[in-house]
Amino acid sequence: MPLPIHAEVFQQNAMEPMQVDAPTEDNDNTEEEPYIVENPTLDLEVYANSYTGLAKLYRLIYIADHCPTLRLEALKMAITYVMTTYNTGIYQTLHKKLQEAIGTPGLPDIAAQSTSQDIPAIDHMWLESKSKKAALKLEKFDTDLKNYKSNSIKESIRRGHDDLGDHYLDCGDLSNALKCYSRARDYCTSGKHVVNMCLNVIKVSVYLQNWSHVISYVTKAENTPDFSEVHGKDNNQAVITKLKIAAGLAELTTMKYKMAARHFLQASLDHCDCPELLSPGNVALYGGLCALATFERNELQKQVIFSSSFKLFLELEPQLRDIIFQFYNSKYASCLKLLDEIKDNILLDMYIAPHVNSLYTQIRNRALIQYFSPYLSADMRRMATAFNRTVSALENELMQLILEGQIQARIDSHNKILYAKDVDQRSTTFEKSISVGKEYQRRTRMLILRAAMLKHRIHVKGQARDTTQGGELSVAPGNSSIVSRN
Amino acid sequence: MVLKEVEKLLDELEKAELEAPNGGATPQTYTQLLAVYLYQNDICNAKYLWKRIPANVKANSNELQQVWLVGQRMWQRDWPAVHAALSTEWSEDINSIMNALKENVRERAVILISEAYSSLTLITLASMTGLSAPEAQTLATEREWKIEGDMVQPKRIDKDYHLGQNSLTEDQLHKLTQFVSFLEN
Amino acid sequence: MMKVSSLMASSLELFVNNVRTLSTQGNFRELCDIINKSTTTLARNGPHLDNVLETLDLQQHSLGILAVLCVKLSLPNANGANNPDAYKPLLNQVQDFIVGCNGEQVRFAPDTYTELCHLLSQLLIDLQMPLRGVDLLRRAIRKIQLFDSQLTSIHADLCQLCLLSKCFKPALEFLDTDITGISQEGGYFDAKYFLLYYYYGGMIYTALKNYNRALYFFEVCITTPAMSVSHIMLEAYKKYMLVSLILHGKIVTIPKHASQIVNRFIKPLSQGYHDIATAYSTNSCAQVNTVMTKHQELFVRDHNWGLVKQVLRYLYKKNIQRLTKTFLTLSLTDVASRAQLPGPTEAEQYILNMIEDGEIFATINQKDGMVVFHDDPEKYNSPEMLARLEKEMEACTELDKRVLEMEEEVLLAPQYVRKVCCHVDQDEPLTGPVHTNVTNTQGQSKHSTYSM
Repeated sequence: MPLPIHAEVFQQNAMEPMQVDAPTEDNDNTEEEPYIVENPTLDLEVYANSYTGLAKLYRLIYIADHCPTLRLEALKMAITYVMTTYNTGIYQTLHKKLQEAIGTPGLPDIAAQSTSQDIPAIDHMWLESKSKKAALKLEKFDTDLKNYKSNSIKESIRRGHDDLGDHYLDCGDLSNALKCYSRARDYCTSGKHVVNMCLNVIKVSVYLQNWSHVISYVTKAENTPDFSEVHGKDNNQAVITKLKIAAGLAELTTMKYKMAARHFLQASLDHCDCPELLSPGNVALYGGLCALATFERNELQKQVIFSSSFKLFLELEPQLRDIIFQFYNSKYASCLKLLDEIKDNILLDMYIAPHVNSLYTQIRNRALIQYFSPYLSADMRRMATAFNRTVSALENELMQLILEGQIQARIDSHNKILYAKDVDQRSTTFEKSISVGKEYQRRTRMLILRAAMLKHRIHVKGQARDTTQGGELSVAPGNSSIVSRN
Repeated sequence: MVLKEVEKLLDELEKAELEAPNGGATPQTYTQLLAVYLYQNDICNAKYLWKRIPANVKANSNELQQVWLVGQRMWQRDWPAVHAALSTEWSEDINSIMNALKENVRERAVILISEAYSSLTLITLASMTGLSAPEAQTLATEREWKIEGDMVQPKRIDKDYHLGQNSLTEDQLHKLTQFVSFLEN
Repeated sequence: MMKVSSLMASSLELFVNNVRTLSTQGNFRELCDIINKSTTTLARNGPHLDNVLETLDLQQHSLGILAVLCVKLSLPNANGANNPDAYKPLLNQVQDFIVGCNGEQVRFAPDTYTELCHLLSQLLIDLQMPLRGVDLLRRAIRKIQLFDSQLTSIHADLCQLCLLSKCFKPALEFLDTDITGISQEGGYFDAKYFLLYYYYGGMIYTALKNYNRALYFFEVCITTPAMSVSHIMLEAYKKYMLVSLILHGKIVTIPKHASQIVNRFIKPLSQGYHDIATAYSTNSCAQVNTVMTKHQELFVRDHNWGLVKQVLRYLYKKNIQRLTKTFLTLSLTDVASRAQLPGPTEAEQYILNMIEDGEIFATINQKDGMVVFHDDPEKYNSPEMLARLEKEMEACTELDKRVLEMEEEVLLAPQYVRKVCCHVDQDEPLTGPVHTNVTNTQGQSKHSTYSM
């Protein structure tokens, strides 16, 4: 009943509600502006070797998309690798990208020449035979599964589902892979199977970037009964590390940096073997940066610098290790300089790149806060030198931090001194209680009024008769006197 | 003028306007009402009164326009212009209230200056208070403000001096006790 | 011809007789029924209604006069002309009635009484003399109200007349009283008048720059239960957003009890206003200005242009306030550039005004062109502050008491008791624990009430 009435109202206003609504919906997407990285110092070969499967392909494609100087090399590497799989879809995409890359003018001449001979051409024969083989394999797994089902042997059915899932994944059909892995759930007979199923689902969900799915399956796995006993001790460590890494990644991508850091910090290097997700270097980088951006000084000391397990990770990324130590030793200028140096490389990392700017700002702010924390007053000129900034730029940064309540201080712009502000607890308490009291009064009045309203059943009904019409008409004349001008 | 009298006058004038037959009061009523609003620094109501005064009444009363000119300047908080607009001869009807307003405005300006400036030029002081330079100098000396060359250093006027006397009354203490016992129960 | 007219006359006579007899008997309920049925008769006898009035007494036959006047107001003017003079006699009759009628009697026909007031204000609006009705409606409300904080549908009329005549003060005595009850007007209170009262009230407060109250009124308007979009609500929502920006620098989240309609339909219809809010959140006056220019036509059409300009003014002020939170000293030139004002002179003017209004605490030094910002000097240690705190606490406890009373009322209401009983019945077939249950909750609500 109410629906047609709404329709009427909107016709009157000659406006399509959904159209107006549309632009507000995509607000929660993290902004992804196209950018170009000019001078990375990345050894692509080494980089690519740290990953397998789709992780490798996705990362190479990301680099190709954002770094012209590495584009051809990355694409070729990806094509070579994709030919070892059944993923004909990505194979074709890669070739398309390759064609575009060659066609793009403005590439360095040398690169064009040296690579022109060994540009691989699209291999239709390969495509055809792979597709056929894939279809055959699919049919086989399918019939196998049907047989298992008719025999109702739980374990075989579970494996059948897993095999089928593996195959779909190999072909790049993620949604079917997810379906198969999930179906295996009903045929799990032990905790170990459940955990295994979770790991499979997590893997595919990471590829699909369905982060809430990742988190919920991590929790599911960790809550499996006898979780700690199902695998051998070593094996168990490996599973935990895998889960922590996946959870960390999911938190990172949803901007919960502190949670992300905590997860990554629990990974164990000796058991960190999941090239289909992340490399150990990634764990060091993601965990290190997130910790730097969000941890208090004592947390940083205890959980990062003195952590025997994470120390091993940091050894893999010596630059990052230096950054963290410089930060800890309050050498902010060199710390920030080093951060700038590694920026180009981490901008080529598909997961952390969208967060580089906000992480860097947070790290800078943390540095500013820490720098000032022991002082009652600080000379802003010296502070500016310590942070590689002009005094006026620093003033702006400090202003922001003060407004956000991150630094309790006031700026004496005349003498360029930053003064710590002592907060009068008593006054603030009074101030707060008065405003709480006011808010209570306001809400209670509203409540009493609302009770009266409900008692008399006051509500706006459909446009029966002329009620709203009349209302609208009488709104108009009164309206004109509102315009308060001065 | 005593505050209570003004309140009473205001009540009468507002009533006269509302009860005027055919909705039109006399120009005198309007002029006085406008002056009273200004005296109370109630610029909002003054502005809307001006807006609702019938056009022919406005056009035929010079004094009404004069009073509103003051109101307009007060609305813009253009201190020198307020003083300028105030310095005319007013008719019997509003003479006393406009003079009181004049005093009010000057006092307001002096208090504001004492609060808002740690130092200001003699010229600013003079224009904000609507005085000539020598008069302004006298005002500063009277209030024991330091004068250095053409700069004046005002002293904060202690607003609490007349409030300070009422200390904690028995009544308040009684309420406090009640409140504490309420919390304890 | 003769026959017809005499027939009419006799029906009018019958009406007069009924009014007289039933009034004398004090049988007002029956009288109301009869009056309701005679509206058409009265309407058909327009020219003779003044004769009817002459036979009735203001105090004794208030209900009869009320009915006649109501019909007279709804008929086209007998004098033909549509100007104030032509309506003068009728207006005087209505005025005499409202001033002199018997309040207890007319409370038997509150719907007719309010209808009379609605017709009266509509007439005055048509005649372009809204101020004429302000005092009258004020009296009319006082006469019919059972208590001061009771809302009648006449409230909306009064506010509308006040708005149209630009004379707001008379409405304040009503607006400042928080409503705790709503009058029964023929068992049905039209939501239109409820919405209009809070919408117009919000507008009056906005005009008088009492933005706190204005926001409260608009909030009531937009949180009224609704099953379809009301234009009043839509307009209130737009003003709610602007006032919210002025007061809090952002759009205050709408309470959860607001109807779904607001989020689903009203929000998308106010895109221009959301654009202003988005621009405002960047603290950039230039951006707000751009949005203002872009949607100027919309804002002017909505009669919100003046209010939108206020929003911009308040952004300048807010930016200066932000400076006082971050700086101890700042040159006037820097204030101007950081607050995006044209120059140091404008900055000085803004600061001066804000100091006078108690919006910031600062001192200007004209000698070196610097401003020193201070904290709020309030130390919360004066007897005045204590008195203020006491007043606030008293208000809180008063409200608390009122809520407890209401709770008790609900608990004792037969419907509630029945419902609780039924509920328990369903859960456990034994009716034993029901009574203890009810008394328990009652007992809880009766905890100590504190009075000041």
